[in-house]
Amino acid sequence: MSEYLAVLLFAVAGIGIVLITFGISRLLRPHNPYPEKNVTYECAEETVGPSWIQFNNRFYIFALIFVIFDVEAIFLFPWAVAFGQLGLFALVEVTLFLMILFFGLFYAWKKGVLKWV
Amino acid sequence: MIDYVSALSIDFGLIVPEITVLVTSFVVMMLACSKKVSSWSSTVTLVGYVLALWFTTRQWGHQGSGFADMVTCDNFGIVFKAIFIVASIIVVFLGHRYLRVKGLHRGEYYALMLVSTLGMMVMANSSDLIVLFLGLEIMSVPLYVMAGMYRRSLESNEAGIKYFFMGAFSTAFLLLGIAFIFGASGTTNLRSIVTDFSYIANSFPVYLYAGVALILIGFGFKVGTVPFHTWVPDVYQGAPTPVTAFFSVAPKAAGFAALLRVFVYGFSEVTILSDVFWVLAVLTMTVGNLLALRQDNVKRMLAYSSISHAGYILVALVVGGADAVAAAIFYLVAYTMFNLGGFGVVTLLETRSGCKSEFNELRGLSKTNPYLTATLALFMFALSGFPPTVGFIGKFYIFSAAMQSGFVWLTVIGVMNSFVSVYYYLRVIKTSFFDEAEGTPVPAVLSPTIIIALVITAVGTLGLGLFPQQLLQLSQAAIFGMP
Amino acid sequence: MLEVIIISSIKVLTVVIVVLTCCAYSTLLERKLVAYMQHRLGPIYAGPWGLLQPIADAIKLMFKEDLVPDRVERTLYTLAPILSFVPSLLVFAVVPFSSDFTLFGYDVTGVISDLNIGVLWVFMITGFGVYGVVLAGWSSGSKWSLLGGIRSSAQMISYELSYGLSIVGVILLANTLSMTEIVGQQDSIFSWYIFRQPLGFILFFTCAVAETNRAPFDMAEAESELVGGYHTEYSSMRFASFFVGEYANMLAASAVAATLFLGGWQGPLLPPIVWMMLKVFFGMFIFIWLRGTLPRFRYDQLMNFGWKVLFPLALLNTMVTGLIVMLTNGTN
Repeated sequence: MSEYLAVLLFAVAGIGIVLITFGISRLLRPHNPYPEKNVTYECAEETVGPSWIQFNNRFYIFALIFVIFDVEAIFLFPWAVAFGQLGLFALVEVTLFLMILFFGLFYAWKKGVLKWV
Repeated sequence: MIDYVSALSIDFGLIVPEITVLVTSFVVMMLACSKKVSSWSSTVTLVGYVLALWFTTRQWGHQGSGFADMVTCDNFGIVFKAIFIVASIIVVFLGHRYLRVKGLHRGEYYALMLVSTLGMMVMANSSDLIVLFLGLEIMSVPLYVMAGMYRRSLESNEAGIKYFFMGAFSTAFLLLGIAFIFGASGTTNLRSIVTDFSYIANSFPVYLYAGVALILIGFGFKVGTVPFHTWVPDVYQGAPTPVTAFFSVAPKAAGFAALLRVFVYGFSEVTILSDVFWVLAVLTMTVGNLLALRQDNVKRMLAYSSISHAGYILVALVVGGADAVAAAIFYLVAYTMFNLGGFGVVTLLETRSGCKSEFNELRGLSKTNPYLTATLALFMFALSGFPPTVGFIGKFYIFSAAMQSGFVWLTVIGVMNSFVSVYYYLRVIKTSFFDEAEGTPVPAVLSPTIIIALVITAVGTLGLGLFPQQLLQLSQAAIFGMP
Repeated sequence: MLEVIIISSIKVLTVVIVVLTCCAYSTLLERKLVAYMQHRLGPIYAGPWGLLQPIADAIKLMFKEDLVPDRVERTLYTLAPILSFVPSLLVFAVVPFSSDFTLFGYDVTGVISDLNIGVLWVFMITGFGVYGVVLAGWSSGSKWSLLGGIRSSAQMISYELSYGLSIVGVILLANTLSMTEIVGQQDSIFSWYIFRQPLGFILFFTCAVAETNRAPFDMAEAESELVGGYHTEYSSMRFASFFVGEYANMLAASAVAATLFLGGWQGPLLPPIVWMMLKVFFGMFIFIWLRGTLPRFRYDQLMNFGWKVLFPLALLNTMVTGLIVMLTNGTN
């Protein structure tokens, strides 16, 4: 348990450092906003339209593929740790598992999901 | 080295049919990647299904469990697996031409169907609630995609979204129910639940009943029993017709396999369940039939009719016991035949351009396609339960099982419902035989594949009606193989 | 218990201060090295060889006005820099920086926390980094920020896969997820895992460069097309925490690479802490060297490279390592 306590201390120290520097900076820096200064940056032009614009829907597809393979990676870690005690059968099973997911990647690849432009 | 292969009793022999279906689905998916070979996908799918069916029949009579007691191989599961595979084979034949006409003939369709079938097979084989849930998910996710496959049709998109939301919602209920059961019993294994039932029921009655109720709601959504049926008409009408045919049979049979396994085997000692099922059965058949009366669209009518048929099968769950399970299996086989037949004719008619399966599009069909109309009439007779079709025999076994256990009122209501249903089934026959078409009717073009599908279903409907003995023995032998 | 807390607190403070100082001087190192690579001098006025330059920079950033544009989502806008900086620091919680030693009569371990899931901790915390980026991009209410944030989050998740998979090989060999034990296994130079996992090391480092959004994978802040990327609308200390976060991430990646592949603090003659520093700064040198040498990828090339080259290679590396481990186990 003390291991996690140390991690907690570290997190507290990390957040603390940020807050302290922000606090010091707040005391030191000038504060002089006016409307022109607070306009969203758009290369010195007047800001046009809303800021939350449409973007390429491929990003969503990548996010979906990522979720699948990230879960796969998580399953591989415990397998790798215990591999010394498991032997051939575990290797075959994990190969099958990877193959199944790799089929998915291959399919997406062939269907042009991974292609940009 | 840890010898976990024997510790967990990993035995791939138990799941050879499942592996066959899985491998086939991968092959089909790889074929779908290339335009040149994607037209082979239907053939490969058929080969896979036939192989899986062969492996399934080879398992008949074997009993065993494996994978840490999570998978059970017994005759009950084997019969259901055979039902799923046969239904899928018929759907493959039945949809081929429709998909080509509508531009939907892609390898993905078959791959999704195979994966869905795999899920159903896992469900039928599971002796653990978690594996059951896993199978349910494997079954459902491809179905959502299949419902929305016809992307140019707004109705199909609606069907996909609606089915997805309802399905996800019901799955949440089911999973919560499983969690409650696990909380009460400390296990998800049906066998252990049966063994420790009296202890669980005495110690944690609230969790147990809450869990059972939630599981019931979850499966209720899947098989379309009445308070949870609202998605059925829209999804059935919107989805591409072969997909609807698949929906109306295979997932329903899988849902009933799970219901029978969980409630007739697992929670057989929850006495109140019989009353709950009584109410559900009566509601389902009555509401389904009454709403079907008002429909002007054949697909929508068949959707409501499939709800009412779920009601008849629920009678078997009211009764419980081996005879009722056999009757339910018999009915499901019969239902698979004549319902797929009915949808087959509708599919064929929809390959005519601009056809939306309205009732008035059936007018004058007997002039242009007399044999097809006769086949349609046969399926409608079977759906309404006329002898000598298998529809009659199926209903007879279900209701005689109910009578023998003393459920007189249930039987009376069921038979009355059957009479009501005659009206709308005969309306199909009346429209197609006796009503004059406006203008010149367009004949439906038959293709070899759909003829095969219609012949299989027609022979099944009539043949099993005339010689039901074999099938009855088979369904009586399909008992739970869990001591 | 109290004693443990005090020792831990002292260690935590030391590590935080050392890491922050290293971050500061990494900026100087980078400017100097890149300058020499480009035949320039780099900072020379603040102190000898510009040694006081980082301090001058810090003071300058402290005194800058904090601009908050009207369109931002206040809460997330404030949270994003913290979420970007703190996780990069937290990685050091499990990195062993020295062997166990005795100080003023107390036995001190050379690591803040020897979690038995140390490697998983590293990847969990690294995974948090993407939140800072995507929240900053979204909450700034600027088109540049949004595009930069989305782009770099897609890049980071794409490379995170290969990042995670590239070290499965090491875990297969080490049979543990504890960083301390992994260092303990590399006690002679030839048992360093880089020699048994060369491909794994290359994949790991490539992905680390992409994960930290550094050149040649610095699409997120490609000045020529996206102005500043996700931190376009940030200024003053908020900007500084993104900036320091980037350097802390690089240091963390170097430290993890050193621990997993280069034997951590193990080494002859010199004291362990010096070896660790040398290896970490070797990693930093490669980071800077890559920046000075390679031109930026195009975005489609970057995604293609991640999904079609690195990811299959990482899978292949995992399977081949598994096969070899099994075969060698069999002969024993």
